[in-house]
Amino acid sequence: MPSEGNPDVEPSDAAVIERVLGGDVDAYGLLVARYRPRAARFALHMLGNREDAEDALQDAFVRAYRSLARCDRDRFGAWLFRILVNRCRTSGARRGRRQQTFVADDFALESAAVEHGEERSAWREEIDRALERLDPAQREAFLLKYGDELSYEEMAEMTGAGVSALKMRVKRACDRLREMLREVERV
Amino acid sequence: MSDIERDELIERVAREVRRPVAVGPGLDARIMAAVRAERSRATDPAARRAWRWLVRPRTVALSPLAGLAMAAGVAGVMVLLGRGDSRPASPAATTAVLVPAAADVRPAANTPAREVQFVLVAPRARQVAVVGDFNDWDPARTPMRVSASGVWSARLPLALGRHEYAFVVDGAGWTLDPSAPSAPADDFGKPNSVITVGESAP
Repeated sequence: MPSEGNPDVEPSDAAVIERVLGGDVDAYGLLVARYRPRAARFALHMLGNREDAEDALQDAFVRAYRSLARCDRDRFGAWLFRILVNRCRTSGARRGRRQQTFVADDFALESAAVEHGEERSAWREEIDRALERLDPAQREAFLLKYGDELSYEEMAEMTGAGVSALKMRVKRACDRLREMLREVERV
Repeated sequence: MSDIERDELIERVAREVRRPVAVGPGLDARIMAAVRAERSRATDPAARRAWRWLVRPRTVALSPLAGLAMAAGVAGVMVLLGRGDSRPASPAATTAVLVPAAADVRPAANTPAREVQFVLVAPRARQVAVVGDFNDWDPARTPMRVSASGVWSARLPLALGRHEYAFVVDGAGWTLDPSAPSAPADDFGKPNSVITVGESAP
């Protein structure tokens, strides 16, 4: 995951990190604004619950700030995601996945219905339900591969798993999703 | 269902999971408030003292048998070190020792501390630094000095309590101290070495 930010308009991650380490803590808000949307997407799909996802996001950003001096300044995004992946694993293991968490996320459903109509909302609900039923490791691998479009090498760096294991997780996730969603389409 | 149709199905799923998601209003502000609180905790002496109290080492009673088991474990580490590491850039051995200083040093006002010497045997290294929670993991802050025999060392005062650390060899390689216990892999996928600085020398 390369460093983000348009150099003509926005400071690079490395430049922002220099400012933060120099005492300008508010500059960290630039990194939050830059990476929060992408991180929120992963956390929400991974945990299936907005409250848990927001807790994981806040925890990940604070932990990243706490150890910012350790960060490879040109690879902040990948580093943050590695922290977030761990936070999501911890959150998922600690609380367990709640029954019907996606459906119970009224805010997300409301947004989906307004933006995309009832049909898309129903399709999205089925996808969420299918994701929820995946093994957590397979869901994590699928979201990193298809949601964030990372290479397997980048995924390996983030998750600590080997490339071949990740390929297998993605394949099994796809197989399982096809199986579940094909059932939905037949109904 | 053909393979192409199956791929289309996965692509439809992918498009949905790539869509922006809604989060609660003010999430970014809450994150920044938490970051500022973290900064205050790190810089406020009272908060630091409270944190140290929370994490300060407690005495643990061990039976003689458990003590022997621990000693055997340490000896095992030393035997492995004696066999050496075939990787050319790797250090031959590392250790951190508590120096029995004549008097406690105090790195900050009213902060009890002891001087600790970190030692790394790495004859082929060009530069080595010790990094840890005591110097914000910044390799520039505690460079180590090398002797003619390739023994790198650095002394610095550490506040009493538990600290995590590692060595940075040639600016890139993070090296654990094999003579010290390790903490589990942290959020960044790296385990660290652990040293507990107590009131008196071990």
